[in-house]
Amino acid sequence: MSMIDEAMLIAWVDGELDEVNRRRVERALADDPALAERAETHRRLRARLTDHFAPVGEEPVPDRFRTLLAESAAVVSMERPGRSRWRGWATGGAIAASLLLGLGLGRVSGGDGEPVGVRDGVMVAKGQLASVLDDQLAAAQDGAAVRIGLSFRRKGGGWCRSFEGEALAGVACREEQGWQVQQLVPGTGPETTYRQASSGDARVLATVDALREGPPADAAQEAAAREAGWR
Amino acid sequence: MSFESDLLAILPRLRRFAASLSQDRADGDDLCQAALEKALRARDQWQPGTRLDSWMYRIIRNVWIDEGRARQRAARTFAPEEAGADVGDAGDRGVEAHVMLSDVDRAMQALPPEQREAIALVLVEGLSYKEAAEVLGVPMGTLTSRLVRGRGALIAMLGEAA
Repeated sequence: MSMIDEAMLIAWVDGELDEVNRRRVERALADDPALAERAETHRRLRARLTDHFAPVGEEPVPDRFRTLLAESAAVVSMERPGRSRWRGWATGGAIAASLLLGLGLGRVSGGDGEPVGVRDGVMVAKGQLASVLDDQLAAAQDGAAVRIGLSFRRKGGGWCRSFEGEALAGVACREEQGWQVQQLVPGTGPETTYRQASSGDARVLATVDALREGPPADAAQEAAAREAGWR
Repeated sequence: MSFESDLLAILPRLRRFAASLSQDRADGDDLCQAALEKALRARDQWQPGTRLDSWMYRIIRNVWIDEGRARQRAARTFAPEEAGADVGDAGDRGVEAHVMLSDVDRAMQALPPEQREAIALVLVEGLSYKEAAEVLGVPMGTLTSRLVRGRGALIAMLGEAA
């Protein structure tokens, strides 16, 4: 019988032994089929537990958690802009206010047809929404029907912009076909003068957070990106 | 990177840990959410430069222990513990969850809490003994003896073929 106790055997299975003890266990395993069988049982147990719970770790994070974190990030950025990553856009305080408070809203569709359509199999912004995404700067949009929230570079390159109007809000990224809509949620509803941050805003913030690389553009970067055609 | 994005990045692992402690996936997400809310309120207590995942594992574990105590008190009021899987359902979700419950879930639930959390951190989350002992605030020797007993119990319940 080998001198390997259960604690040492499972420590071997868990890869916790130093070199000397690891060799000792491996020599014992080679000499003792019963011990080797026991080690195999422990190894299978570990694999079974790991496999059983692995799918939870591979699922996309449910919206309830994204919303919770996005709302927290937004609140923190408003309360103490100096301490958060949102500093980049909080310095243009009006931008944050437009996204969270929904001030000065108008209609998206109105003579220009539908705001969203499908082109080459891709959902893209059309009409006035496309124009807003092309031309409107977040720093200069008093009274605009659709407001730009943030402009930011996405992971893997390219520009994206969040937008918000009465009928719809969301995020679009510049692709070959135009502004591909990444997310579309209900807008702010009929015009109001003051509105609390809604779950819709939180969803948009979560999408921005998931897509963006680095801080959102400041006014100068946004203007330069527009000059370059958002390429 | 902000506190929130850092949390989002480790959230899949936190949900997995919460699921491995809880009776089912829905309870796991409720636990995870309660822990996240607690962490957001206590964000100033987290020291940048230390491991956020260890801090979160600790919070999840503490919330779970607190809720477990409350649940035990409630369970004693409604049904004897040995009634097991057949009675004591709180509602539709509970019935459904029991139907879905696998052998592994059932076996994990049968472990005493101190063995279940050790097993969850090491076998499910893949923490080293040292990391797991730190999360749980116990000496290494205590952790390893819980692992030995917990594994023995699981093998007894799930069979040698585990």
